[in-house]
Amino acid sequence: MKPGTWILISSAAVCGAAAYVAPWLLGVVGAPARPVFVVGLAAVAAGLGMLPVAWLLNRDAARMTRTAARLAAGDDAPVPSVSALSRPAAGALRRVMEQADQDAQVVMARMRELEIRVRISDGDRARFETALEALPDPAIVTNGYGELQLINAAAAGLLGLDREADLSRSVVEAIGDESIRRLLIEAHESGSATHRARAEIAVRAADAPPDAPGRAHEAIVATLPDPTEPIGGAVLILRDIAREREISQMKSEFVSKASHELRTPLSSINAYVEMLLDGEAEDPEAQREFYTVIKSEADRLGRLIDNMLNISRIEAGITKAKHEDVDFVKAAQHAVSVIEPQARLKDISIRIKSGSLLYSAEADRDMLHQVLLNLLSNAVKYTPENGRVTVTIENDETTGSVMTTVADTGLGIPPDAIDHVFDKFYRIENYKRVAKGTGLGLNLVKHIVETVHGGQITVTSELGMGSKFTFLIPYTRDGARRLAA
Amino acid sequence: MTDTPATILVVDDEAHITRVVSLKLRNAGYTVLTAADGEEGLEAALQHTPDLIITDMQMPYLTGLEMARRLREHRATAGIPLIMLTARGFGLTPDDMAETNIKKMMSKPFGPRDLLRQVEVCLGGGEDEAAEAA
Repeated sequence: MKPGTWILISSAAVCGAAAYVAPWLLGVVGAPARPVFVVGLAAVAAGLGMLPVAWLLNRDAARMTRTAARLAAGDDAPVPSVSALSRPAAGALRRVMEQADQDAQVVMARMRELEIRVRISDGDRARFETALEALPDPAIVTNGYGELQLINAAAAGLLGLDREADLSRSVVEAIGDESIRRLLIEAHESGSATHRARAEIAVRAADAPPDAPGRAHEAIVATLPDPTEPIGGAVLILRDIAREREISQMKSEFVSKASHELRTPLSSINAYVEMLLDGEAEDPEAQREFYTVIKSEADRLGRLIDNMLNISRIEAGITKAKHEDVDFVKAAQHAVSVIEPQARLKDISIRIKSGSLLYSAEADRDMLHQVLLNLLSNAVKYTPENGRVTVTIENDETTGSVMTTVADTGLGIPPDAIDHVFDKFYRIENYKRVAKGTGLGLNLVKHIVETVHGGQITVTSELGMGSKFTFLIPYTRDGARRLAA
Repeated sequence: MTDTPATILVVDDEAHITRVVSLKLRNAGYTVLTAADGEEGLEAALQHTPDLIITDMQMPYLTGLEMARRLREHRATAGIPLIMLTARGFGLTPDDMAETNIKKMMSKPFGPRDLLRQVEVCLGGGEDEAAEAA
């Protein structure tokens, strides 16, 4: 039987009894006469009279039960209004609901305030995240519990972190790199919101082979403030300083090599001058020999300084190159005429090969002369007697450039040295006694061709058979930009 | 010291330097041998056991320091004092000095007069050291 039916029957019975007893209790009627009849009649009448009331109450209870069930099930159907209820139920309910309404107003106001706070904090967080994301350097942020809260793309890449799955994982679990983990743990353990630390550490990228050495990084870690806790977490930023180190090492190597190269001829000059002053070379022939050595070593010093200055000017981008229409065949003839006396001493023949076309490009005539001179001089230096040097000039339509090749029948370049011949101060150890050089000639050639003219230079060689240097100079400066791209 | 002039080996890949140093030493009465790199220097030292070696630091095949280390490995050459010429402007570490018999470092540019003075000092004390080592 439904609970509603029970309510109906019991309320009818209670009301019937009340209707009978009430007048008697109030003394309105005298002692009951024929009580059985009267009781029966009154009960029936009262019961009938209470029926609508009981029905109303039952309906309200059923409605409220259904609504409660729907609400409990998460259904958001409209809740029946108080006015839809009967008057007796409505009175009590209205009072309860008014109180609830007041409470709800307070709660709503609180929620609105919280929502604004969350929105502000979300905004701050978004700004913070965007700023860290824009950093090219790896950055990670932890919360007050030492859990990863933010991993930018660079950090995910370097440390092999998953930007979703690793969030909320503790630093101890998620960070594999010992030094980074230690820095973050130290920051947290400091308990100070103003903790700052900087360290130089070696970090091996997650995708590097396990035996690869780590790259030098500068790590900066700082704790974050929090209004209620001692610290709100920490931020760690890494900066790759390996390249910086390399450059600074290259610079110091350059200075060291340059000083060695400068001191060597200076040493000879100093020693020979002192010998002359001390009268240790008395016969005129020895004296002449000494003066010749001093002159040639002073020239070597001058060439060395010129080359160093030219290279550093090009590297610093302060070389002003002229753009003139240069006829490459004429330029080659000029350079060959300068080298020819040297070649004749070793019975080396120099030949220029070209077609009948015009081979010209926009170039700096003096610099091009330097390139041809350096290549020809090397060819003659490292080619044994009776050898051949050939200069070939062609138009290369694919790259829109004049292609010049200087080939010799000389010693050739060992395979392990071929990648280094354009390096500063590089000299092939075994050839040091074959010929003198500054170790800067080919570096300058490469700078003039590639940096100044936007061209390209390559070398091929076979040991014992000879070497072939080929360089392209674009017809126009626009062409140079295309060649570079 | 006997009347026989001391023999000095000069090792440098710069021909001008070996030439001028040789001349200075010969003028001072020494017998001079020359070599153009560390390897040649080692061979000449083993073959002739000179009384003193003047060597350059930076040379092809074998550096002056490496040559000095190798000389220490042979009984005949272990006690030969060396004067090291260097253009790099760097000093040898105490370890380098301890494991070789380098007595003096001279940086380039150097004066032949100074060098001769150092040679005389080394040959004076060098013989005592060699006797101790033996």
